Amino acid sequence: MIWVAWRQQRTASFVVLGVLVLSGIFLLVTGLNMTHDFQQSGLSDCLAHTTKPLDVCGPLGTLFVNHYSSLIPFAAALMILPILLGAMVGAPLVAREFEQRTTLLVWMQSITRTRWLSVKVVLVLGTGLLAGGVLMVLLTWWFSPFSQLIGSFNPVAFDFSGPVLIAATLLALALGIFAGTLTRRTVFAIFLTLALILAIRLPVEFVLRPNYEPQITVTWPLAQSDNPPITLGMQDWSVGQGYIDAQGNKTNSITCSGTNVGQLTPQQCMQASGYRSNYLSYQPADRFWTFQWIETGIYLAISALAIGATFWLVRRRLV
Amino acid sequence: MSNVLETTHLSKRYGRQWALQDCTLALPAGRVAALVGPNGAGKTTLLHLSVGLLEPTTGSVQVFGCSPLKQTTQTLPRLGFVAQDHPLYKDFTVADLLTLGRKLNPRWDDTLAKARMQKLGIPLDRPAGKLSGGQQAQVGLVLALAKRPDLLLLDEPLAQLDPLARREFLRTLMDAEAESGLTVLLSSHIIGDLERVCDYLIILSASYVQLAGDIQEIGRTHKRLVGPRQEVDAIASVHTVIETSQTERQTTLLVRTNGPLFDPSWEVQEVSLEDIVLAYLSHQATERLLSSQSTQKQHGMEVVQ
Repeated sequence: MIWVAWRQQRTASFVVLGVLVLSGIFLLVTGLNMTHDFQQSGLSDCLAHTTKPLDVCGPLGTLFVNHYSSLIPFAAALMILPILLGAMVGAPLVAREFEQRTTLLVWMQSITRTRWLSVKVVLVLGTGLLAGGVLMVLLTWWFSPFSQLIGSFNPVAFDFSGPVLIAATLLALALGIFAGTLTRRTVFAIFLTLALILAIRLPVEFVLRPNYEPQITVTWPLAQSDNPPITLGMQDWSVGQGYIDAQGNKTNSITCSGTNVGQLTPQQCMQASGYRSNYLSYQPADRFWTFQWIETGIYLAISALAIGATFWLVRRRLV
Repeated sequence: MSNVLETTHLSKRYGRQWALQDCTLALPAGRVAALVGPNGAGKTTLLHLSVGLLEPTTGSVQVFGCSPLKQTTQTLPRLGFVAQDHPLYKDFTVADLLTLGRKLNPRWDDTLAKARMQKLGIPLDRPAGKLSGGQQAQVGLVLALAKRPDLLLLDEPLAQLDPLARREFLRTLMDAEAESGLTVLLSSHIIGDLERVCDYLIILSASYVQLAGDIQEIGRTHKRLVGPRQEVDAIASVHTVIETSQTERQTTLLVRTNGPLFDPSWEVQEVSLEDIVLAYLSHQATERLLSSQSTQKQHGMEVVQ
């Protein structure tokens, strides 16, 4: 069955390999250039000998960021690859067999349906594991100069700076395989896969991730400036900044009520409306790996559920 | 064990629609059986239930004395199945498909498979999707035959084939049957092509089995009776009337005889297998048989009460 599954996925595997190689070439060429500049300009040395990078290495850092940060969106765009893998490789895995009725051929050979599905799933998830791993290593290396300047604990870099990237790849594939088995229609399954991935990843990243551990919140009086009394390190994740309103809720918009609103400065207005203080919430740098593993765990758990449901569907729902 | 396939009150329902109802039949080993019925009669359902692709709603099905659904490790290696329209992996070459068969089947006969392909003139290096319909059907058949099955089931194998391809397909089938003595069950909505190759007939109509038995026996017991116009009650009390047609002057019946025919007012004629099948499949006959079945059931209920 391994041979059969490989023969079926051969073309897709070569396409995946091709895309990975092209991405790799792009990352290597730009990355080598960047690293070279990073070291030659003295920025690397400077960062190595100070704890307050922006103050000391400011001009060098600004220069580097100005020059290269336009590349970041290109690198971040590669994060779409795991999603594409789920939709283009995961979704058709079982759906196409139903669609072309080849289940009626392969299920009548002398192997059980469970074994048939296991081999296919393991092969595809293995490919995903490799692809995700390669992408993670490449992107982490590529991003390392930026990581020292702007940190990795931010919504963009977090996604590819650790096992979360591999788990997200497996998740996309597992959801794709599940969607394909459920719908039995390739095109429908592709769209369902995309919808499922978004429906899971967006809430995880924007709602759950900032709260894997309680945020540390610093407050200071409204009378002072907007600048917080503490300076966050490069590797800390600043989750939110704003005001605590009269009810004690965090907000970043000012709503004034009263008669002569137009004549007040924002600060007077806030005091008149009962706003209590400024605040800054953040997740400290030392939680980075905890957060990586928590999110990896969430994605792997959902993947396991999706694969489990797939096996249940294939064993129970016949033809 | 004499029966390769046995079903007992086998029924399958999709939603509210019964695809197969109360099907009890036995297929003796070594037979080549035709499963005949109009489209939508439940032929595919019966075949899929027999090979474990479907789960019965009620009743049971046994292949080689095993459940094809639960004891797949016993049944699958001994079953050959060619689904309707003989699905193949279109991007696999013929050689790839043979490798698939070799890798997935312990009883696979590679020599036989390659020899048949050569005999049929099917190039091994061509993708299955680029073969003609007849060749694809042949590849599907060879894949099933090279498993060395004890029971081979074919779902509408001739439907998409032109007359020449039909003849070649049946020749391949008959060669294999002669060599290994396997049991074959093939479905069709027509009997014509099958009469030469089959020795057993199962007629399925409106999700019920109307008739099952040896073809020669069926030919012997079914007669056409022609006589002056008259009531058929007398004859119907002894024999089973399948089809009645009346003109002003004469009455023509197709009956299944349940003993000798004595009444001299009837002229007894032989009837072709095709006519027998058509008679069973005609609306009139189906309704009559169904109503007689239901009255039998009602009688049964009354007895119980």
